Amino acid sequence: MKLNIEGLLVYFPYDYIYPEQYSYMLELKRTLDAKGHGVLEMPSGTGKTISLLSLIVAYQKAYPLEVTKLIYCSRTVPEIEKVVEELRKLMEFYTKETGEKNNFLALALSSRKNLCIHPEILHANIVVYSYHYLLDPKIADLVSKELAKKSVVVFDEAHNIDNVCIDSMSVNITRRTLDRCQTNVDTLQNTIQRIKETDAAKLREEYRRLVEGLKEANVARETDIYLSNPVLPDEVLQEAIPGSIRTAEHFVGFLKRFLEYLKARLRIHHVVQESSPQFLKDIYEKVCIDRKPLRFCAERLRSLLRTLEIADIADFSPITLISHFATLVSTYSKGFTIIIEPFEDKTPTIANPVLHFSCMDPSIAIKPVFERFQSVVITSGTLSPLDIYPRILDFRPVTMASFTMTLARTCLCPLIVGRGNDQVAMSSKFETREDFAVIRNYGNLLLEMSAIVPDGIVAFFTSYVYMENIVASWYEQGILENIQRNKLIFIETPDAAETSMALEKYQEACENGRGAILLSVARGKVSEGIDFVHHFGRAVIMFGVPYVYTQSRILKARLEYLRDQFQIRENDFLTFDAMRHAAQCVGRAIRGKTDYGLMIFADKRYARADKRGKLPRWIQEHISDGSLNLTIDETVQLSKHFLRQMAQPFRREDQLGLSLLTLEQLQSEEMLEKISQIAQQA
Amino acid sequence: MAALSEEVLLVVKRVRQRKQDGTLYLMTERIAWGPEGKDRFTVSHLYADIRCQKISPDGKSKIQLQLVLHTGESTTFHFANESTALKDRDAAKDLLQQLLPKFKKKANKQLEEKNKMLQEDPVLFQLYKDLVVSQVISAEEFWASRLKLSSVEHSLSNNSKQEVGISAAFLADIRPQTDGCNGLKYNLTSDIIESIFKTYPAVKQKYAENVPHNLTEKEFWTRFFQSHYFHRDRINTGQQDIFSECAKQDEKGLKSMVVQGVKNPMVDLLSLEDKTLDEGYGSLTVGPNSSKTVKENSNSAIIKRFNHHSAMVLAAGLRKVDAPSDQASETSSTDGNSRDSDFFQPPIKKVKLQEAIEYEDLQNGSGPKTIALNLKKSDRYSHGPVPLQSHHYSTSQDIINSVNCIQEEISCYKPCLTRVMPSSAASSAITALSPGGLLMQAGTQQAVSQLVPTDVQSELKHLYTAAGELLRHFWSCFPVNTPFLEEKVVKMRSNLERFQSTKLRPFQEKIQREYLSTNLTSHLDEMIQAAYNKFHAWQTRRMARKT
Repeated sequence: MKLNIEGLLVYFPYDYIYPEQYSYMLELKRTLDAKGHGVLEMPSGTGKTISLLSLIVAYQKAYPLEVTKLIYCSRTVPEIEKVVEELRKLMEFYTKETGEKNNFLALALSSRKNLCIHPEILHANIVVYSYHYLLDPKIADLVSKELAKKSVVVFDEAHNIDNVCIDSMSVNITRRTLDRCQTNVDTLQNTIQRIKETDAAKLREEYRRLVEGLKEANVARETDIYLSNPVLPDEVLQEAIPGSIRTAEHFVGFLKRFLEYLKARLRIHHVVQESSPQFLKDIYEKVCIDRKPLRFCAERLRSLLRTLEIADIADFSPITLISHFATLVSTYSKGFTIIIEPFEDKTPTIANPVLHFSCMDPSIAIKPVFERFQSVVITSGTLSPLDIYPRILDFRPVTMASFTMTLARTCLCPLIVGRGNDQVAMSSKFETREDFAVIRNYGNLLLEMSAIVPDGIVAFFTSYVYMENIVASWYEQGILENIQRNKLIFIETPDAAETSMALEKYQEACENGRGAILLSVARGKVSEGIDFVHHFGRAVIMFGVPYVYTQSRILKARLEYLRDQFQIRENDFLTFDAMRHAAQCVGRAIRGKTDYGLMIFADKRYARADKRGKLPRWIQEHISDGSLNLTIDETVQLSKHFLRQMAQPFRREDQLGLSLLTLEQLQSEEMLEKISQIAQQA
Repeated sequence: MAALSEEVLLVVKRVRQRKQDGTLYLMTERIAWGPEGKDRFTVSHLYADIRCQKISPDGKSKIQLQLVLHTGESTTFHFANESTALKDRDAAKDLLQQLLPKFKKKANKQLEEKNKMLQEDPVLFQLYKDLVVSQVISAEEFWASRLKLSSVEHSLSNNSKQEVGISAAFLADIRPQTDGCNGLKYNLTSDIIESIFKTYPAVKQKYAENVPHNLTEKEFWTRFFQSHYFHRDRINTGQQDIFSECAKQDEKGLKSMVVQGVKNPMVDLLSLEDKTLDEGYGSLTVGPNSSKTVKENSNSAIIKRFNHHSAMVLAAGLRKVDAPSDQASETSSTDGNSRDSDFFQPPIKKVKLQEAIEYEDLQNGSGPKTIALNLKKSDRYSHGPVPLQSHHYSTSQDIINSVNCIQEEISCYKPCLTRVMPSSAASSAITALSPGGLLMQAGTQQAVSQLVPTDVQSELKHLYTAAGELLRHFWSCFPVNTPFLEEKVVKMRSNLERFQSTKLRPFQEKIQREYLSTNLTSHLDEMIQAAYNKFHAWQTRRMARKT
């Protein structure tokens, strides 16, 4: 159908539309009109992607000078492929409707194997790729730095975007890294020596080129042609290269010294935590390395490796890592912390020193993106609470909205189970998690559900270790064997290949009617990337609240930083983080309005307002007071009722006019009034 | 006493039958018993006739062995040699156990089945009488296609024949109980054993290797329950255990399954991430867990075993379903069709992606899902069957053109009044063509049923079914691409001829005598003639090829 979104003609490749899709497009258009950033939450399965694509493509066609390019970032390869597929569908619709040949160039980059040719990316109207191509400075510099300013950037499935940012800027150095660096440095030295004997001019040329390159980069950045690179700080571009690393030989010598220093730092017996300035002070005192040459390190090494015409760059990844560390540590005095641990907490007898250079501020990596592109849209099915993302990513959105799922029948059924039938509270909190009664009650819950839920059940645990313990104890108590009478059991393992196989078998068992249970882990790969549509997931059980492991020093440092810099209280952040993962887990089962599923939160803490309030609105609004602190029996009763209702036939006519609209229905005043209430502005 | 050619496998003396002492003989093909002092057998059963054997429970005073025959009769032998009775009985039992399955072939079952079919289906029975009893075709030929058909029907009609799957919890049903004196008692039924064998072929193999040569059945299962293999949380360390090999085999199987990878790209976690961070980057560095406690190891062993167990149970359930479909595709590939169907299956990834982005409710009339065309031979599909005669095909454009032409002609149609029939002739023609008119008499159903006496009708019906059956056999031989089919087609032709001469001709003569319309059999003749023509064409082609 053809839609009129506040005066913009939008081709929408379906015969019907969900009211929330219309509302979503309205908000999106306002964001683009304002040339600002937006945060939009809409449940998955409501056609978010196609709404986004339809509107932005229409916008590009209508105002080719205002928006020149759409950069669509998603997280996993299947997600990217799905976007491409939807885009194809949209383009076919355009061709069919307008009769014109499609002159839109869309490009998808997935995995470095088929990395596209750089110039093409500049001409494409739509680029679809993974987050890393924009957020990881090492790749962004190669792929994305010349993308036009007038682009719209969309981060889909963005609920974890802060972690992606942090990961791309954090460095870990082990003894093995340093040993391999040593080899790298030796190779460098030998190569330089050889070239010096045969072709001294080349080395002189190298330095000249380095200076030229930096000058060009500076011009480019000043004239705003390039996306800036957080690993290539402005100072490097403006200042002269310090004499101590000017020639190749001196630079190698410098690297050696730096390496020795790091080795010495790893020879410790107790945990050290320090800030970047402290580290710089220490390195200056110990080996007289100044801040300035450190800052040039990454760029200097890059230039050198280029000149030496080293074929296999991958061999030099350790020394590149070190050079990035050097540049980052000397550039950012805030937002990073250095933690040196002599051994793993679990195994204090085995020496395994690691230097963690941890980014605590996700805004550092994403800052160039917000600064450069006129509109950046952050969207996902679960972005609650909305206001936290602008805070931790440090940007000012023009629109923030959460959309509910309009439903003709309530196809999701969130239940909070707080007690077993013996009235013992169920919770994964640290004090009671090993409690026999809790484990048994969890087991009984799964057993009872396995008897009443058809086809597939997915259960998530808070961590892998916790799952292992519970599974073992269920095995000893014979609970698993009783569950096996109802369904087959498959369990996620740390091995991705093994888990893939288990997943496939799980689906097979759901497909052939046998029914199965998948035991899985929140924050694991399954919870982040696999959908359980229709019969593949009729119930999701979340055992416990998936808090992150709080004893880690890195996390503690980050929490401290959030408190000091963004005034976010530790508990607020931890709860936010736990709830977004819980929402991700339970949301895996509902992928559309024709789908249905139970969402069982098995922990009494979910009943508390501070937890519940952080769930996405589309889940929250279906939690009634009657479903708050249930026993297992009550849960089973409610579930049975729900499943029986859902098993009734559900036709298009049931939805039409309520959660599904024809063009005429959409255009009625009354409906437009209703639609305007779908979006809840934060 | 026994026929010379028969080899006697086992002789047991002092066996009583009907309170008479005697000797029991187990031969290669039968079991026999003769009373003491007489050189003839009063009891003799072919193994093929025996349905099963039963033995008296341990601890009973009389040690007996009962043979139940297919007919329902049974014979009981009482082992009376006090000192070795039990041993004797077990020897006989074990030998029978090995022998009986060899003879327990389908033969009897099939006979029963055939009988049943004939009893249940009067039409079939009539057909049988017409064709087999009157020796038009042999019984073998008659059943050849029938039985296959019936088995297909059975599996389609989905009655009790459906294979029962395996309960995932079959091991739980064993329920160990303490026997009160420091031991455990496991309840093992034949169903559970069956389940174990089906799910773990490795155990079955071990069983075949070791029982009864090295271990008795009881010892085997005792060891099984003691093994690390059975206890999933124990880590397999011991080598003395015969099941350690099974565990290794399982591990290997599991690994190969993992290495094979998954077919559905949407669940492949390995290719989920577009780019993992380079080594050394990132905030989470949970390296390979080098140091796991014993407890953790045993926990992950349980998890692995559960995954494996579920996969095996699932596979055991599917194996049965797979087998016949495999066979079917094999037979279809022998009939000259190449197996290039794989080519035409749309890539699974694309399908899965399409599925993933589909919003069924947003689309109009997405209707019931269609099934992808599975082509055995693609060129046949695109070219269609090539007509033997040169036919003129009209394209849709031609048809449209001709319709237009006709319309045009009609619009400017002018009657040529000089050539018109007189009205009386026209009205008589109309009466003749109206129902009940002169020209409408022949061929109406009513007329036949009224004209022809019922006995002739029923005879005609029988002839039709018989002819249909024969023709079905005949046509099923085409395309004739194996020597077997060649032979069969020749035989079928002679069968048809025989049918014509022994059945059809007399009937035709009969209706002639009764002055009925010979039209009655003309269609039969036509059908048979068509078959002859086909046969003739095939034969001439074959001759031509041979010379």
